[in-house]
Amino acid sequence: MTNLSPAFKESLEPLLLALADDELIMGHRHSEWTGWAPHIEEDIAFSSIAQDEIGHANLFYTLLSGVVDKSPDEIALARGASEYRHAIICERPNRDWAFTLARHFLYDAAERIRLESLRASAYKPLADVADKLLREERYHELHAEAWFSRLSSGPMEGRHELTMALSEALSDSIGLFETIDSEKVALEYSILPESNEDLLQRFLSDASERIESYGLPFQLSSSESEGEFLATSSGEMIEGSDDQGAPPPAIAEADGKWQVTGEFAGMGGRRGKHSPDFEELWDDLTKTYREEPSATW
Amino acid sequence: MVTRTSISRQEVYEVLSGVADPEIPAISVVDLGIIEDVEVEENRVKVTCLPTFVGCPALDAIREDIEKALEGAGAEPEVVFVYQPPWTSDRITVEGKHKLEEYGLAPPTGRSPAGPTRLTLLAPAKCPYCGSRDTVLESPFGPTQCRAISYCRSCRNPFEQFKVV
Repeated sequence: MTNLSPAFKESLEPLLLALADDELIMGHRHSEWTGWAPHIEEDIAFSSIAQDEIGHANLFYTLLSGVVDKSPDEIALARGASEYRHAIICERPNRDWAFTLARHFLYDAAERIRLESLRASAYKPLADVADKLLREERYHELHAEAWFSRLSSGPMEGRHELTMALSEALSDSIGLFETIDSEKVALEYSILPESNEDLLQRFLSDASERIESYGLPFQLSSSESEGEFLATSSGEMIEGSDDQGAPPPAIAEADGKWQVTGEFAGMGGRRGKHSPDFEELWDDLTKTYREEPSATW
Repeated sequence: MVTRTSISRQEVYEVLSGVADPEIPAISVVDLGIIEDVEVEENRVKVTCLPTFVGCPALDAIREDIEKALEGAGAEPEVVFVYQPPWTSDRITVEGKHKLEEYGLAPPTGRSPAGPTRLTLLAPAKCPYCGSRDTVLESPFGPTQCRAISYCRSCRNPFEQFKVV
């Protein structure tokens, strides 16, 4: 690892950190279902997915430990809350079953799109890992899709709950594809084969098509802090009702190209901006480590 | 413990064939297909393994079990895990699949899809209890990361199956 140039290393670090932190925090939230899910199969499913994601986080931290010369545990747990680079969608509380499933569906779609792209990374250890992880992630999507199919063809109440949760999770999901620090350099070196902007385009097309294939509407939450409007993938627009201050953030599609304007509430994670919900999670996650940093596990 | 100055590759494989997977003791690490390479220099042995699942908590136990077995045979072992080539369920040996079935765990139901193909459905597994194919996948997640839960409509037993990875 020592033969990597300083610029190469510098652009590798924020990328690996974003990948690892997303998995760690998402895995942590999933693990909160252990013992509480609606039935035992789901208890096992979310515990198992959590175990996968935290295992993946550990692998990314291990890759990073070779670059920054710190142990994976130290990188994972010895940071302040504002030093984490996961997207805000990962730290949102599980809230209820509908939100959990909506986020699960979108997060795992985003992960597939990102990992498929990273298989072409010029940083071989990362390309190898991406290929391996994709094989495991298939089962996460299989699980999310089974629930989407069940709820979308079921009674009205479940369908309604899922629609509402989906519109909230959708505006948050944009934060998964925000530009990372040193992204330009990572692109020059092909560590990152495609920009986050390009990946976001693919993600929105994939998500809108799949959501509509369940007969569910692809629309953002209408709450002002989370985005006013939205377009269906057919390009149909719904007018926002904002009449003061800056226009609310929005996503619109025209000629197959997605345009994101403004700052959604779920954005900023890649710059270390987090919601108040992360404070509590961070405290829970790092408490044991902070009490005894020298302990071995 | 035997001390010796050299060990052959074949002897190493014989030792490894006696190392059981900690989560599925019916099958050895060789039958599971996680042994990618064995390098031998005098009595120093380097075993390169492929993890079945990245977050598998049994990896440390597997490493220790392999080291202990090889030390017992007088070798100086080193065990490393790599991610390329990725382990796939196609690597389980024919004998390994029989052993899984005898153990009550349905073997993988098909070949691992090449590349990043989307997975839509798992083919119905053969019930390890009654042999029926009239089974249905209940959940893609089970007691360990590599297992899914199915249900046999014929003998009405739930059973576990090894995932196609």
